[in-house]
Amino acid sequence: MQSLPLLCCRWLEASWVGTTIRESDNLFSVIETTHVLGIAWTAGLIAIVDLRLLGIVLTRSPASQLVRPLVKLTWYGFAWMFTSGFLLFWSEADKLYFNPLFRAKVLALAVLGVNQLVFHRGAFQHIGDWDLALNPSGSVRLAAGVSLAGWLTVIALGRAIAYV
Amino acid sequence: MNALEACAWLAHSGIGNAIRQSTWGFALIEMVHLASLALLGGCLLVAALRVFGRILPTCAIADVDRNLIGLATGALSALLTSGVLLFADGPLRYYANVAFRTKLLLLAAALAAAAVTRRLLGQTPPAAAASPNLKAATALTLALWLGVGIAGRVIGIL
Repeated sequence: MQSLPLLCCRWLEASWVGTTIRESDNLFSVIETTHVLGIAWTAGLIAIVDLRLLGIVLTRSPASQLVRPLVKLTWYGFAWMFTSGFLLFWSEADKLYFNPLFRAKVLALAVLGVNQLVFHRGAFQHIGDWDLALNPSGSVRLAAGVSLAGWLTVIALGRAIAYV
Repeated sequence: MNALEACAWLAHSGIGNAIRQSTWGFALIEMVHLASLALLGGCLLVAALRVFGRILPTCAIADVDRNLIGLATGALSALLTSGVLLFADGPLRYYANVAFRTKLLLLAAALAAAAVTRRLLGQTPPAAAASPNLKAATALTLALWLGVGIAGRVIGIL
């Protein structure tokens, strides 16, 4: 008896889109290039925000002046990463389903999602209280630390997926 | 020693052999390369967004540069070091790779453009908006770094 997720992965890989990407000479590489360069946009901007929240860079500027305008831009970057990443997954879903590092990457992304949600529902709601703090409170620094470590893990796993 | 001979020397050096023979060596160095790419990219984007007036309105343009240059230099050093190590995996192969040569040219141009941009950043008075020259130099620097990234990815495809 095959599980539903596995059946979905099989169906995705065998579908027209999956087959087209897999069998094209350049399509996979082109999508991969946009995925890799999106790292600078998404993980790069998030890393600078995290380093500000940890009190390491841009400490003399109010955190809100960095965080607020970057929220939307970072979401666009994430949408870009997710779309290009999903297209790559689509072309070899059946194979990736069994890849332990791919599963670990999905798990790490889920942890990052929860971390982001907790931060935005929590400390970010009263950013005015700690806007100018050189060293924001423990919960803010924890969220920033988890985010930095998480994105580093996602980048490392993303690269390692191709090696197993 | 010309460039080709230097590549041959590096290929047969202890570092070249160690990376080729290790199972995860190349992958680990690639991870460092990608993580530092993210960090340098983040610094460049934040500086560019400030130049174009999208973020940090009360932080002087020159201060953004002063705040991020340490991090950017660290990320660039990690990128260059890991890049040299990746190159050591197959110097003779990369020597002949058109995308690799293009990447080196674009890298030189990007570093030069970044130096010009930083000079203009430093000259911007506190509370002043970016001059058209600074905006143009910033856009050019970003475009050249994007070119470096694309050429870098193409190296592995050719």
